[in-house]
Amino acid sequence: MKIIIPKALSQAALALLFAVLILGMAASGADNSSGILLKIGTPNVVKSASLLGDTNMGVFSHLSNPTLMKMAADGSIVGLAAKNSEVSSDGKTWKFTINEDLYWSDGQKLTPEDVKFTFDYLAEKYPAAGWMKTTIEDISVDGNDVVFKLNKPYSRLNLEFATYTILPKHIWEKIDDPVEFTNEGEVVGFGPFTITKTDLAAGVIYFKKNPYWKGATPKIDSLEIHTYSNMDVLSLALEKGDVDAYYKYAGTYPYTSVQKLKDTGNFEFMEKDNIGLIFLGMNLKKEPMSDLEFRKALSYAVNCSELLKLDALDFGQVPNAGFVPPAMMDYKETEKLRCNLETAKKILADAGYKDSDSNGILEGKDGKDIKLVLLTRNDYQRVTELLVEYLKAVGMDSEIKTVDSSTWIKQKDAYEYDLTVTRSTPWGMLMHANWGTGYFDSRRTGEGVLHVLDDPTFLKLCDDILAATSDDQLKDYAHQLQDYYAENLPSIALYWNKVETPYNKAFKGWYSDPLYGIYNVDNFLAVEKA
Amino acid sequence: MPLAAKKAARYAVAFFLIISLNFAIPRAMPGDPLTNLLGEDVDVTGGTIVELREKMGLDEPVHLQYLYYWWSLLNLDLGYSYHLHSPVSSAILSRMKWTLLLSVPSLILGAVIGTFFGALAGWKRREAAGQLETALVLTVFCTPPYFLSLLALYVFSFYLGLFPLKGFYSSGSWLDVAHHFLLPVLVMTLFSASRNYMIMRGSVIQEKASLYAAYARAKGLYGNQILFRHIFKNALLPIITLLAIDFGFILSGALFIEIVFSMNGMGNLIYDALLSRDYPVLQGSFLIITVMVIAANLLADLLYSRVDPRVRWQ
Repeated sequence: MKIIIPKALSQAALALLFAVLILGMAASGADNSSGILLKIGTPNVVKSASLLGDTNMGVFSHLSNPTLMKMAADGSIVGLAAKNSEVSSDGKTWKFTINEDLYWSDGQKLTPEDVKFTFDYLAEKYPAAGWMKTTIEDISVDGNDVVFKLNKPYSRLNLEFATYTILPKHIWEKIDDPVEFTNEGEVVGFGPFTITKTDLAAGVIYFKKNPYWKGATPKIDSLEIHTYSNMDVLSLALEKGDVDAYYKYAGTYPYTSVQKLKDTGNFEFMEKDNIGLIFLGMNLKKEPMSDLEFRKALSYAVNCSELLKLDALDFGQVPNAGFVPPAMMDYKETEKLRCNLETAKKILADAGYKDSDSNGILEGKDGKDIKLVLLTRNDYQRVTELLVEYLKAVGMDSEIKTVDSSTWIKQKDAYEYDLTVTRSTPWGMLMHANWGTGYFDSRRTGEGVLHVLDDPTFLKLCDDILAATSDDQLKDYAHQLQDYYAENLPSIALYWNKVETPYNKAFKGWYSDPLYGIYNVDNFLAVEKA
Repeated sequence: MPLAAKKAARYAVAFFLIISLNFAIPRAMPGDPLTNLLGEDVDVTGGTIVELREKMGLDEPVHLQYLYYWWSLLNLDLGYSYHLHSPVSSAILSRMKWTLLLSVPSLILGAVIGTFFGALAGWKRREAAGQLETALVLTVFCTPPYFLSLLALYVFSFYLGLFPLKGFYSSGSWLDVAHHFLLPVLVMTLFSASRNYMIMRGSVIQEKASLYAAYARAKGLYGNQILFRHIFKNALLPIITLLAIDFGFILSGALFIEIVFSMNGMGNLIYDALLSRDYPVLQGSFLIITVMVIAANLLADLLYSRVDPRVRWQ
């Protein structure tokens, strides 16, 4: 017995090793791709091959089915499927002139009718585009133009149209429920690359060149999006060369892993200021958060530079009281947030928050000790723990309530919290009346939306922005809004961070926009083998 | 009432209660299936939310939802997932085949290896090599599954380049599938074997102190004969219970492996459904797990009666 077992074991180990080698060789031999292939690794896992029903699939389909407009590197909105756009002086009529040299991957020409169909169809059948039903009165085709008549001035229609993919009428008119429609095979698109297959089990979306693309010639032959459920493994895949670049919508490559990848000598990093940010949301419907003096004191209590260092490893900067990050269009310089505990304590004392029973905790206006509930999710646990320390330093007791995302949404919507740490995405900062207004306006709902601000001054500013008819007006309102944020502090930006996107030096020519990062048509036309 | 009928009645009641709990538990969780449906930064109007709730059947009173739930189950309809845009049965079937491919070999290999070597380790526990072996197995047993999976991936896939880093396959050929599955199966086998090893070892140590073992030795039987003819069968009882539990959770037990190896299997399906409060997927998955747990328990009961004369049916 003693002799037989080790022998059997060694034989089994040998057999296993041979099996691995044979399998490895056979499996690698099966890779018969030709031409220049670019592989992007992402943690944005696609759960369903539904262009309109899966958020991540929707983002990845932008290359196959681009949008009418796009955001340029400076944040301005320029044409993509449309050559240009014009708005009437009353802001109620928008005209988009469609590019004439666009063709669907099945050979049919993209027409203004396709564009009209897309927006009629989305307004009718796509819940996330429900606003179109209440805003757009009529869509008509005039030669090569598509004209949108609105029932009220809407300054940001062109921006909205930088997010909705254009659909071929001859395919989608037969689909009754677009959200539930899934397609794991070829997608008819008009971009430079179109989806040939979405393989959910392999975790790969395959793209090939659109044979009817008439624009600038792509310098790569095919593209693959590889999804990873685990960020550590994605980092290993980059290092090993399994994927060439990293992409995450509204996110950065983990700062803790940047140096390791740099040390390999094979990677460059594209560094861009994020237009999204991490912020401290406040339940303005409750005391003491509804008290401006309390919020001011809070802004002095928070040590943003320490948060930036510990949570973002200094990849970013300390924010201003004006909330809006400098990467956004029409940014206005407001006062920098600075931590000063003495000032915070003085503001609180002057506002009547005193520790009359000398137990180390300030009392609120109702005479009871202040004990704040910090609602948070796992992603922000570290920041929240630091905030508890900052609050303690100025005499406020607090408890952390860590919940999952669904519970957070439920409790946030029911206003069952005092403070919460959350983030804004790039689109989140642009939604509604732009500059982060969508998160605070009490008339709105949504997963990340706090809807805590019903101050008439703020609501009027939002309405004015939506109805603005010129860029000068918009700029003026944007500055007023940032002043409003700085004076009223409905929320405190914790830090403005950078978006780090690593890419292998084997490829060059990378380009990023503020809305979708490297996942844009221009980037995949520019990227080439180094 | 005969024992078999009593057992059948007990299983039927358990089945009814568990199926009802499967309906109640997802609804008892805070949150709403709608909350994660549209994306983080999408604004929807109140009217749209009402429409969606109606479409998903969430506007009905809970007792009606419960009745519809039973009616659907009796019609073999597991419902529709608005998160996956697919009937639940298709979503489960498409994931289940992969997870079974991952879990079944691991479970079988883990049972065979763990039981066999655990029995030997228990029989010869004072030998230095055996003690070293037990220390190693104990280390594996105590290592968090996520860490061990990641470590195996780092060494064998990243560092040595012997296996791929992710997914069920790349090209889809059977060789390619086997290549993708080998490391996750080995890691799962290691876990399963280490657990079975420790239990079997303890069980054998206990059994070999029994009088019947001493009697067998007194009869002049060799060590291996005593172990495998007499002790092994009795020491196997706790392992049968564990295997029954393993079998019940065969679909959801591979979650860590699926996350580390980016495999879209049943573990990930249930995990995502929990996070997004996808009631139909949770109900459907729990139903499958319920059936498997009950079947496994029934099987364990039958096996027990075969192995242990004390628990015969009658």
